[in-house]
Amino acid sequence: MESNKKYWKGLEEYKNTPDFVENNKNEFAESLPIEDVLNEAGLSTVTPRRDFLKALGFGLGAVTLAACQTAPIHKSIPYLVKPEEVVPGIPNYYVSSFNGQSILVKTREGRPIKIEPNPNAGGFFNGTDAQAQASVLDLYDVSKLQFPVKKDGSNGLTKSNWAEIDKFVQAELSKAQASGKKIRIVSSSVNSPSTKAVIADFTAAYPTTKHVQYDAISYTGIIKANENSFGKAVVPKYNFDKADLIVSFGADFLGTWISGEEFTAQYVSNRNQKSLSQGKMSRHFQFEAGMSMTGTNADTRVPIKLSEEGPALIALYNAITGANLAGGILGNNVIADKALKLVAKELLQNKGKSVVVCGSNDVSTQILVNAINSAIGSYGTTIDLDNPNKRYAGNDAEFAEFINEMNRGEVAAVFFLDSNPAYDVANAKAFTDGLAKVGLKVSFSDRQDETSSLCDVIAINHNYLESWGDANAYEGYYSIVQPTINPVFNSRQAEESLLIWSNAPVKEYYQYVRNNWEATILPVLGKTWKDVLQTGVFASAPKPAGTYAFSLSLAAVIPSILSNSKALVKDIELEVYESTGMRNGKYANNAFLQELPDPVSKVTWDNYIALAPKFAEKLGFKEFDIVSVKDDKGYSIELPVLIQPGQAQGTASIALGYGRTKAGKAGNDVGRNAYPFVSFTNGTSKYATTVKLEATGKRDELAQTQTHHSFEGRSIIREASFTAYKKNPAAGSGNDHAKHKTYDLWDKYEKPGNNWVMAIDLNACTGCGSCIVACNVENNIPVVGKDEVRRRREMHWIRIDRYYSFNVEGEGHGEAAHGEHGAHSNGINSVTKEKEIAHLDNMDNVSVVHQPMLCQHCDHAPCETVCPVLATTHSSDGLNHMAYNRCVGTRYCANNCPYKVRRFNWFNYWNDSRFDNYLNNEFTQLVLNPDVTTRSRGVMEKCTMCIQRIQSGKLQAKIEKRPLKDGEIKMACQQACSANAIIFGDGNDPNSEVSKALRSERTYYVLEEINVQPGIGYMTKIRNTDTTVHA
Amino acid sequence: MSGHKESILREPLITGQNITYSKITSDILLPVENKPNRAWWIGFIIALCGAMLWVFAVSYTFWFGIGSWGLNKTVGWAWDITGFVWWVGIGHAGTLISAVLLLFRQNWRNSINRSAEAMTIFAVICAATYVVSHMGRPWLAYWVLPLPNQFGSLWVNFNSPLVWDMFAISTYFSVSLLFWYTGLLPDIATIRDRATGLRRRIYSIFSFGWSGNVKTWQRFEAVSLILAGISTPLVLSVHTIVSMDFATSVIPGWHTTIFPPYFVAGAIFSGFAMVLTLLLVARKVLGLENYITMFHIESMNKIIILTGSIVGVAYLTEFFIAWYSGSEYEQYAFINRSTGPYWWAYWMMMTCNVISPQLLWFKKIRTNIAATWILSIVVNIGMWFERFVIIVTSLHRDYIPSSWAMFYPTWVDVSVFIGSIGLFFTLFLLFLRVLPSIAIAEVKLLLKSASEQAKLEQIKEGHLDKEQVAEYIGSLDKFDSVKQEEYAKI
Repeated sequence: MESNKKYWKGLEEYKNTPDFVENNKNEFAESLPIEDVLNEAGLSTVTPRRDFLKALGFGLGAVTLAACQTAPIHKSIPYLVKPEEVVPGIPNYYVSSFNGQSILVKTREGRPIKIEPNPNAGGFFNGTDAQAQASVLDLYDVSKLQFPVKKDGSNGLTKSNWAEIDKFVQAELSKAQASGKKIRIVSSSVNSPSTKAVIADFTAAYPTTKHVQYDAISYTGIIKANENSFGKAVVPKYNFDKADLIVSFGADFLGTWISGEEFTAQYVSNRNQKSLSQGKMSRHFQFEAGMSMTGTNADTRVPIKLSEEGPALIALYNAITGANLAGGILGNNVIADKALKLVAKELLQNKGKSVVVCGSNDVSTQILVNAINSAIGSYGTTIDLDNPNKRYAGNDAEFAEFINEMNRGEVAAVFFLDSNPAYDVANAKAFTDGLAKVGLKVSFSDRQDETSSLCDVIAINHNYLESWGDANAYEGYYSIVQPTINPVFNSRQAEESLLIWSNAPVKEYYQYVRNNWEATILPVLGKTWKDVLQTGVFASAPKPAGTYAFSLSLAAVIPSILSNSKALVKDIELEVYESTGMRNGKYANNAFLQELPDPVSKVTWDNYIALAPKFAEKLGFKEFDIVSVKDDKGYSIELPVLIQPGQAQGTASIALGYGRTKAGKAGNDVGRNAYPFVSFTNGTSKYATTVKLEATGKRDELAQTQTHHSFEGRSIIREASFTAYKKNPAAGSGNDHAKHKTYDLWDKYEKPGNNWVMAIDLNACTGCGSCIVACNVENNIPVVGKDEVRRRREMHWIRIDRYYSFNVEGEGHGEAAHGEHGAHSNGINSVTKEKEIAHLDNMDNVSVVHQPMLCQHCDHAPCETVCPVLATTHSSDGLNHMAYNRCVGTRYCANNCPYKVRRFNWFNYWNDSRFDNYLNNEFTQLVLNPDVTTRSRGVMEKCTMCIQRIQSGKLQAKIEKRPLKDGEIKMACQQACSANAIIFGDGNDPNSEVSKALRSERTYYVLEEINVQPGIGYMTKIRNTDTTVHA
Repeated sequence: MSGHKESILREPLITGQNITYSKITSDILLPVENKPNRAWWIGFIIALCGAMLWVFAVSYTFWFGIGSWGLNKTVGWAWDITGFVWWVGIGHAGTLISAVLLLFRQNWRNSINRSAEAMTIFAVICAATYVVSHMGRPWLAYWVLPLPNQFGSLWVNFNSPLVWDMFAISTYFSVSLLFWYTGLLPDIATIRDRATGLRRRIYSIFSFGWSGNVKTWQRFEAVSLILAGISTPLVLSVHTIVSMDFATSVIPGWHTTIFPPYFVAGAIFSGFAMVLTLLLVARKVLGLENYITMFHIESMNKIIILTGSIVGVAYLTEFFIAWYSGSEYEQYAFINRSTGPYWWAYWMMMTCNVISPQLLWFKKIRTNIAATWILSIVVNIGMWFERFVIIVTSLHRDYIPSSWAMFYPTWVDVSVFIGSIGLFFTLFLLFLRVLPSIAIAEVKLLLKSASEQAKLEQIKEGHLDKEQVAEYIGSLDKFDSVKQEEYAKI
């Protein structure tokens, strides 16, 4: 800022007196006696001994004192002009949306650091999935491009600017327009009304444009089937909460299928403590090849081969309707056959209260599923076609046609929005060959990924946390996306780029979204734009769900199903599936997700080929042997074997989403790409094929967070059958008989104020792991990388223990079973000990339990007594504290922790170049929660019960001069949990949710017998098993 | 002690004829007053390489972090605390020999106490290095001391066995050092008196003005007895407290009331084995066969067989109690020890500690130097495995099966351990060069009463019972340092 004003220091200056002029020439107003000191006499003065010593003493002292403290350099810039709404230390929350789900974004000093569910979201949006939790990290990803890039002759993609790019793209578009050739916008499913409008505007400006939507994990089969059966080309809204009986054929509906988190909330509402206490529990049958997370939660899980899926559905249809369609024979699989008969019987008993879902993407199969659902009256109750799910609209056939168009040289320009076909299409070669023939190739990716690196221009898009936008997850359900930070890099929102290139009248996307809402959505709802920004989500009353009856002939679909099935009867049947952490591979560079253990196998940082124990034995493979997997098309990859109990014999499973080559430094070359195993038949992508396996003689240990898989009959897991529960709610919990009297060495802790405790419902937890990521983000937990996980050093404060047990039915297994906790039967007969499991002939009938395990905040904590320096102590509100600064790192506390939940910083993980997974740079460190210190090497850490949240909750109540309300403080894990499996609160308040939960007959404490008095109660796992199936 | 003649039934404690006070001095000071021989140099260079490896491995650990060891979330202690307990255990024989045997008037200790005490001190130093180096933040190791400080009002946790440990080890170290040094005073004075020049000045300073007059000797005796009185409870307390690191925990396999006596017995067991390992070589190389005789070796072997059997009984008792307790965790811990993934370590321990020392019941074996030396090493291998078994196999599979894990050492783990052995031998070899390896003054006490020549004189005087003499002469057969010709004449 320039100013012509001149300030004078006194009248002398103003008047410019000669004295002033003279003095002003000198640096000092008075002359300094320098000459006196420097002259001969000055230099030759004698320094007395005392003076010398004084000077020496002072000098030494001063230097020593100065050296005592290395002053750390903090680079911080204070606000020059403080934004009104930002108060340092106080978080701001903004509503936004992630994948169509309305969320809250917590920002601190202008940077988003945490994703939380939006309490206004309604429906079954109770929590958030792991991907939403981890998504903040993507904002701070250093592997992203910082500026738009453009192909520059032979130099490849070089730094560019928006003006240059706009000029280039518009010129190329005009050329394309002039040539009359096709322009294509390729994206994954778009549900945003504004984005759709932008694309429509773009299409209006360039009429040869077509929007091709495809999803790497496709739901085209369901959409086409519904179009065929009921004339509605949609993915329906499923209501698992209305289903008393759920039958799933390979659909991982609690995990990756369509909307796992929402379905989890629905599903659990019929199985949690509330439902159980009303004597109600749904029953869930799962027929599948690979062990999915959903399969681990099923009451009865029947392994079937992929080739048996079609015949099983036909058999089920026949059994329900009494029809006599050919091919419904499951000759060899006696158990499946028996199970299907039972399922059919129960489906008929539960008409209108049951649902059958199938994970297949085959149109014919889905038509048959529609027929079954129609026969059992699912439409209008458990399946709602009138308020469909808008999140998936991909069309595999259109995309296949697009590849053909490119190869025929008909495409002049292509834009890739939120899609990466060079990585995730089955026939990547056809795609890349075709792409080379396209004139203008523009990607909106934020990095040079597999596809964008083949493009002419990467017009880098904002991260969603920097974007404006909207989403439309369901019919009539709209949510807003609003930016929570200024764009960090020189990126521009894709929609804005498209608006500019189509020379639209409104080029600013914020204005565009707002106009769009004000014009189309808000008038219907009678709300204002400001309301939208505050609540984030609007839903019009759902339309009444109509009942639909399937009336078509199945004559055409049955042969197709059977021929698909027959094609799989060869070699080894391979299922490729969406991984719970990586999903379709889009999140591959997210270190939090890479280190999130798979809910079933507990493997991190890798994919693998899952084989059943007996089958692997038959093939001669041991766990971690690297085998070469080869399909008919000649694609082959080498993957380590994982022995997966419950995997159907004769089948193998490989997760998709791995093997990225250009994802970024965390995600590159993690695992192998299984997309080429996907095949395209009858207009849809198929995720089943057949492969041959060959030994390579190599071995590679997978990085698992859990390597022992059975609970050895220990009472840490307590479970009961639903039948036993109905007879006695305390069945299996150990609460129905007298307990030992205990004696304490220690005095009881006084807890005058609060007593923070937790209750975890094992029947609600599905094992998804979103709590793990939520905890990582909230508590700055470092990601340690594959090698460290392999050394069993992952840092997760909360983990989910997954135990397999093997059900034995009938006579003669009494001794092997663990069913006799106490004198009372829990109605469960299973083998849980490693040594007995090794002798089992049939390992197919596996039961799984997921147990979230975190610091139990014991009242008589064994860790507290052994710490030599009192670094871990008990608080007056029932918490076990850990003072990082005091810890000297003897690890005695961790050794003495019976739950093994303490985590040691073996290295300086968050700031050590050898563990450069993500956090070793100042930019990514912006993701850290400023309320939680990062821990240095040599320090123990563990769950703090989000003490920062407790403190801020207490503080807020104090400021408002009121007592704390129950449920006001939520743990990060609890908040993320869609199933509400975790309840936290004050045990001193008898009316708190948690106190009520802990009073349940089902509640038990893990290892209560060693009298450490844990603060976390667990509720028994209840299984609504039918004992006749596997008999 | 020295006034009377010892019974002829007792075997001689000093062998060889024509032993004079002066010869004793010269014999013992031979390595101190002369240039080292080739054997010493070879030993020293190897040991020094080991010590350098230790410096490197520990520096590497300090620089990069404890993660360079093979520990994990489940097994938080492994080779570090195994090494720590092993060294503390080895350090036990010194005090037992110097204090307990002094109080019980076991004169035979006079020949071995000096080296045993030196060994104790060096072993405790090795143990102490583990205490510091196993910490995540070793630069804060002083926080375990109850020092007044300005970190608020922070104090140590007196409930923590690690604090007790710190007190126990530091007390043990200081008392052992004091005891050892007090014993050294007359001997340092002897060296001083025979030395010239700079050496004389140095030894003069370290002899604290020892004058050798009667009053000094009297005080010396008194102080020795007092220190012996103070040290004796330490023999029991140190390893008792070390065992409480485990016994007070909740981990199955650690939480065992039998630990204190079992650890003390084990410590004495390993300490005597280490004394044998060292002295069998030293007596040969330094020519001290006349002072460290077969009687000493056999006596120590007897202690080994006793303590080894106590340890064996303890192992079996643990198993019985695990079964008897009815606690599934306890039972599993012990079944897992003997049949789990670390079964080989358990059986290594059983073989080395319980089975092989039983060979010492045979007189042939316990008086055979080569066999004794090998067994002494086997015992210490066994004792290392005992600690490994207790620490690692208990931790690696405790209560919650999801966290069960294996421990695999890294090169750093191995280097720190091998390096600590190098450090120990470096210190011991330096000790042999600068200080008398046998307590000169104390051995001299035995010359007139309990030496072979004194007894021979008695025999020659001819007032002794013939049968007793025959028995005495018979007992000399096993001595490799007795010339049988003298007795053939009788």
